[in-house]
Amino acid sequence: MNIEQIVFYFFAALTLISAFLVVNIQNLVRSIFLFFVTIFSLAVMFVFALADFIAVTQVVIYVGGVLVLMLFAFMLSNKELLSGLRDASESFKIGHFFGLFICLGLFILLYSAISSADIINLPWVKASHAIGQNDNTIYQIGIHTMTRYLLPFEVVSVFLLMALIGAAHLARKEKGS
Amino acid sequence: MIPLSHFMLISAALFCIGLYAVLTKRNAIQVLIGIEFMINAAILNFVAFGRLDKLAGGGQMFALFAIVLAAAGVAVALAIILNVYKHFKTINPEKIDSLKN
Amino acid sequence: MEILNFSAKTLCLLSLVAILAPFLTFPIIQLGKKSIGATVSISNITISFIASVVIFLSIWNVEVVHWQVEWFSIGTRLFTAGVLLNNLSVLMMVLVSGISLLVHIYSLSYMKGDGNIHKYWAYLGLFCFSMMGLVVADSLLLIYMFWELVGFFSFLLIGFWFTKATASQAAKKAFIMNRIGDIGFLIGLIIIYTQFGTFDIVELFGTGGLIDSASIIDGVWISSNSEMPVIWLSVAGIAFFIGAIAKSAQFPLHTWLPDAMAGPTSVSSLIHAATMVAAGVFLLGRIYPLFDTLVLNIITIIGVFTAFMAATIALTQNDIKRILAYSTISQLGLMIAAMGIGAYGASIFYLATHAFFKCLLFLAAGAVIHRLNHYKEHHNLVFDHQDIRLMGGLRKQMPISFITMCIAAAALAGLPFTSGFLSKDAILINSFEWAQGYHGFKKLVPYLLVFTSWLTVFYIARLIFKVFLGKPRYEGITEAPSAMTRVLVVLAFFCLFIAFSVNPLSYEGSWIFEGFIKAGVKRFDDLHVIIPAIVTFVSLAIVFFAYKIYGRNSPKTFPDNGFIYRFSNRAWYLDSGYNLLFVRPTEAISRLSYKFDRLIIDGIVSFLSLIVKNLAAISNWFDHYIIDGLVNGIASLAQKTGDLSRKFQSGKLQHYLITMLTVVVVFFILTYFI
Repeated sequence: MNIEQIVFYFFAALTLISAFLVVNIQNLVRSIFLFFVTIFSLAVMFVFALADFIAVTQVVIYVGGVLVLMLFAFMLSNKELLSGLRDASESFKIGHFFGLFICLGLFILLYSAISSADIINLPWVKASHAIGQNDNTIYQIGIHTMTRYLLPFEVVSVFLLMALIGAAHLARKEKGS
Repeated sequence: MIPLSHFMLISAALFCIGLYAVLTKRNAIQVLIGIEFMINAAILNFVAFGRLDKLAGGGQMFALFAIVLAAAGVAVALAIILNVYKHFKTINPEKIDSLKN
Repeated sequence: MEILNFSAKTLCLLSLVAILAPFLTFPIIQLGKKSIGATVSISNITISFIASVVIFLSIWNVEVVHWQVEWFSIGTRLFTAGVLLNNLSVLMMVLVSGISLLVHIYSLSYMKGDGNIHKYWAYLGLFCFSMMGLVVADSLLLIYMFWELVGFFSFLLIGFWFTKATASQAAKKAFIMNRIGDIGFLIGLIIIYTQFGTFDIVELFGTGGLIDSASIIDGVWISSNSEMPVIWLSVAGIAFFIGAIAKSAQFPLHTWLPDAMAGPTSVSSLIHAATMVAAGVFLLGRIYPLFDTLVLNIITIIGVFTAFMAATIALTQNDIKRILAYSTISQLGLMIAAMGIGAYGASIFYLATHAFFKCLLFLAAGAVIHRLNHYKEHHNLVFDHQDIRLMGGLRKQMPISFITMCIAAAALAGLPFTSGFLSKDAILINSFEWAQGYHGFKKLVPYLLVFTSWLTVFYIARLIFKVFLGKPRYEGITEAPSAMTRVLVVLAFFCLFIAFSVNPLSYEGSWIFEGFIKAGVKRFDDLHVIIPAIVTFVSLAIVFFAYKIYGRNSPKTFPDNGFIYRFSNRAWYLDSGYNLLFVRPTEAISRLSYKFDRLIIDGIVSFLSLIVKNLAAISNWFDHYIIDGLVNGIASLAQKTGDLSRKFQSGKLQHYLITMLTVVVVFFILTYFI
């Protein structure tokens, strides 16, 4: 075991633990902050997958955008919303059982699929060019965005615009409400 | 190097956790967080496989796009949650059962 | 007499007319107006009487007419019905129709004003019809039928005033006791038929008939038809005799007769003096050849005992009709005893004379009762108008009744120059002659009979003196209406010796006696003189003695508290004895059966119904819970399945998600692992 693996596993564990906690903690604010931890650990794992730009993008967008958005939306909403939230998640209901069962089942399914799939020895994996440690991924991403993936890029930007307008419209205050 | 299957496992576990949150949480925002986890798991998968793709760089590109889309989705979802609260006076998905029967 | 020369066929038709004429009273009264009852019945009985007289004159000592028709058949056996006219039949016909006629005329004024009088005439007619039928029937079966009819119509007549409890009880008692006798008759009938195969009287009892030709060999009674142990011969005789006992009120079946005095007096006189009670003696006369020595001895014993017993009871009775009732029982005992000792002719002779003077006694007593009742209602008094202790001095107020009753009493007592003297002496002398050949108990019989006749004298004298002599107790009692008194006078004539014999002192000269077979005993000349003399002398002494006691209203000399008095007054406690022995147990059994029926049978029924109810409840439960439950269960199963399925549509997003993912996961698991 070299240091690389240890760090990786540590951060993997952190991801999972914090994700688990996010899901199980009653206090919503704390769970949202733990969500931040998850995102951050995930970004570290991205780094181990040699996707450094993605990692940074992830942190910036999620922590700086999504998380803040959630926090603001949560904090600045009505009192009823807050109180309703507090009372909502109390007891462990039987539905949770089913949910748990499904999730575990799915996980077991996926685990078995993954472990039985000999990925290393897949032909296209063998014949692939892996990204090296010293490659300039940002440079590659920039090039690919403007050449190969131009259409998706444009679509995404239109989509962002739509989302922006839609969200703004949806969240408007009604006259007299 | 970290084997690919490990990444996939972590991704699968995260996905399941996110699914659990979606299926069982009584709070719409927590459901939203679950959805986020699921999206992030997919992104992790993208990135893991993207490591092998130097030529086209598809993995990383689509991871990027996914991140963007997730963020947009969160924004819209929050707006929807706000409207749902206005209409149903609650954001407990168990209480919003006008589709019942 | 051969003055009238009718063919046998005409005589038979006449006899049928004589029988049926009184019967027709009944339908005519039913169909027509009620007021014609009297005229119809009297004219019918007159027709019957005239027909009887005509037949009598043609048949008596001349010929025997027997005519039969086929009646019915059972299998191969044929039964006949017919008319037998011999001396006995025609004598009885005249007797019955004659006395019935007189009683009819008497009833015109005795029953006047009674509301149900049309029924009375109807019953009277029916009774006469059945009695007439009885005496001319030629088959034992026919006699039995008329026997029962006589019993039934006498029941109707005794209970004529049925609103009185005593009358209806007495009628019931009479009928029941008669039925007991009828059983005996029936047993006798069955034995006769089994042995001989026929019911015909002439075939059976005629001279040289089947009974005479049947022989007894080694204890077996053999006839041409079959054979049976000889004991059955005695049994048959006793059985028929039981029938006679009931009908003629002998001990032990005599208690109905005094109670039957609750009926109208005219009925009492007709039924209990002249006709019905004589039917028993008549039957014995008809079947006389059947009896063997054992039965004859039993007949004698019972007859003598009854005569003695009834006479002792009559001594202490105070109701005028009861005295006469016990007197009837006593005289019947005399007749039955005479039959038993073989004095057939004497018995029938006494039957005829007794009919007249007893009827007269009853009718005269009825006149007295009638006038006293009238006086009672007129003056609004309350007293028992039949109690002789409350009567007296009626001889000046009711002279005709007095004289006629005296004549009848004399006849009953057997005083000379009356018909009773002749007939009683016939029996007494015959009894002494019969007893001469025997020793032991049989010697006692004539002495007892004599003693009984002395008792008879005493009680009838007592009756006459208490009722008619002495100072009049009530002022203003008048003589009975003429319809009654004329009948009394006619009857009084027949109580004198002239009607029966030219010779007042010797019975053998009587024409009746000559009509019947003589007693087969040796004639002792001395007895024919001594016995009448002694008996008459002592009778006159007794009359004088009774006159001394009762005639002058002197205070009683006989104590009425002693045991003997009470024993006699209560009729030897036989009534109470029967009540204890038979009536009470029957009532107890009846109550027991009622309780049994109520408790046990009703209990069983209600228990069964309870079981059924419970079964019904169980079925109901079963039906309700199990069957309905099954059906409802299926319905609710369907409903719950629907509900369950419906729950999937909860409207909850997360549930939908869970469902979808469950399917996917399960699918994958199933596909890849199983």
